[in-house]
Amino acid sequence: MDQLQQFIRASQAYVYLLILLAQLVGVGVWWLTARILALDTVFVLISLVASALLIPLLILPVITKLFTSPLKFVWQAILYTTPETAGTKAPDIANIKYARELVTNLVTHIYQLAHVGAEASAAENNKGLDTNFIAQSLPLPLVVLDKDDTVVFANSALTSYLERPADMIQGQNIHSVLDLSFGDENTFDAWHANAKTSAPTATGTWERVRLTIPGEKPTVKLLDLAAYYSKDNVAGYETMLVLFDHSTAYAVENQAVNFVALAVHELRTPLTVLRGYIEALEEDLANTSPEIRQYIERAQASASQLTVFINNILNVAQIDDDQMLFTLQEEKWQEVLPNILKDLEVRARAHGIKITTHIDSDLPTVGIDKVSMYEVVNNLIDNAIKYSTRNRKEIIVTCKRGEHDLVETTIQDFGVGIPANAVPKLFEKFYRDHHNRTRVGGSGLGLYLCKTFITAHGGNIWVRSHEGEGTTFGFTLVPYAQLAAEQKNHNNTDSNPQITRSAHGWIKNHSLYRR
Amino acid sequence: MDDQPASPQGKKVLCIEDELFISELYSRALTKAGYDIVVELDGMKGLELAQSNQFDIILLDLMIPHLTGTEILSILRDPSKTPELKAKIIVTTNLEQRDDIKSTIEQQADGYIVKANVTPRELVEFLNGIE
Repeated sequence: MDQLQQFIRASQAYVYLLILLAQLVGVGVWWLTARILALDTVFVLISLVASALLIPLLILPVITKLFTSPLKFVWQAILYTTPETAGTKAPDIANIKYARELVTNLVTHIYQLAHVGAEASAAENNKGLDTNFIAQSLPLPLVVLDKDDTVVFANSALTSYLERPADMIQGQNIHSVLDLSFGDENTFDAWHANAKTSAPTATGTWERVRLTIPGEKPTVKLLDLAAYYSKDNVAGYETMLVLFDHSTAYAVENQAVNFVALAVHELRTPLTVLRGYIEALEEDLANTSPEIRQYIERAQASASQLTVFINNILNVAQIDDDQMLFTLQEEKWQEVLPNILKDLEVRARAHGIKITTHIDSDLPTVGIDKVSMYEVVNNLIDNAIKYSTRNRKEIIVTCKRGEHDLVETTIQDFGVGIPANAVPKLFEKFYRDHHNRTRVGGSGLGLYLCKTFITAHGGNIWVRSHEGEGTTFGFTLVPYAQLAAEQKNHNNTDSNPQITRSAHGWIKNHSLYRR
Repeated sequence: MDDQPASPQGKKVLCIEDELFISELYSRALTKAGYDIVVELDGMKGLELAQSNQFDIILLDLMIPHLTGTEILSILRDPSKTPELKAKIIVTTNLEQRDDIKSTIEQQADGYIVKANVTPRELVEFLNGIE
């Protein structure tokens, strides 16, 4: 700016001097003419006006040239740096005489700007190549989605990771490309839906996500996941997902679970034998005294109670490690429930307790994992048995159609009841009611499992209790049609409905069976 | 399953199981129900017997000497090593499997039982349910 001010001041001085000079010349000519020729004053005045008009005209080109010469250098510099007029000669800075400092600076600035511009333009030109190169050579599986969740780009790390050709990935819905399952409700889909409605950009990360890669031998990977969302992206790319496979690392961490599995194995083997021989003894019960019969029944009840407990330990370890899977199948609860209760009647009878049932026959089919539901009812009945008192040795099981067609099951005992302050914590892991702990054994895992299983089934579990009067546990199961519709909306991939993956047992193309 | 009639008469069962008490219990219950049961404690011998293709049902424990149950399973399901078996293979175990092994078993076996959760009588009912 100082140089500009200097330039303006110098220009003003030059103009002033030039005009002054011109006027002096004019006045001088007028004076001489008037003296020498003794001309008429009128003529002199006319000539004076004429010269005053002519002289600026004569000096105009000099002034213009002087003041526009810096502009010429600047313009030359611009032409020189513009790609379209490449070949134009660079301004000869050494020849700049007027406003030299200002012009040199301006030209230098033009050169600098042109350089920056050229760099940016080069980067712009290489942009497609570079990002593609980076994405393709990234050793992490990466997938890009458009606003309809369709895969618009998958890098080669992803195609080889999934062992699927690119054309079977691109253009597909993300759900049919990546079969992901998350430990809790904080899923990619939940995050994605939220991002789409509420954020211009968003990032999300998840740990220990389970990816099932289908195939002749489906493989399960444990990975971390990172996603980036950008709304209305002009390129049509809206969401990017990067997969970090940590299957090996997580497998090492899973040693803890494997330890539980090993311990459970060691407990289960003698238990298998114990239950087998108790059953063998049962066959000859008719010939034994009522006392012996009672002993055997008690031993049997205890053995099955131990079975439940061992399964609980394993289930909790698996839930904690996000290894518990449920496949919900269509079942008639009014038929499944009595079968489960039949097994439990022996245990109840051993404690002198009667199970009464009121099960409606007109119920919608429900979507359940039978093994898990067996655990739920087992644990609830087990609780009811443990907390029953001498007053009324009965457990009432009801099952009816509830609100919104949900199938509602309640298990009522007339035992000691639960203090009001203990109720909110009842479904927490390892929670035991201090009031009752001294009298009744238990691990504090059963109700936690019940809640986890019922929640996984899309249902609710609750409790009503009055101290000294008894407790009612209730849970709802969702009609299969409702679950199937939700599943269809949510995910267009079809999981294998014939195989139930869970902790305890299955037969292919056959109803599930376990005790 | 309870309402399915038991028709095990003459059905041959191979039980590859090294826990003596368990194999004795299974043997007792299955024989009583009309099955013809052969017990084998050793993995290698068990595999040979299974490959002889004379059985309708194979009960396969996973933790057995010389060859593990999963190894036997893969050999029995490998067409280059074993011609197609008529037997249904039921994996019987008390060990909770790792996920990858579990999915392999799901692919290769016809059934899976946790022994501690199934009494011998229930095992008979379970086998009766297999066509």
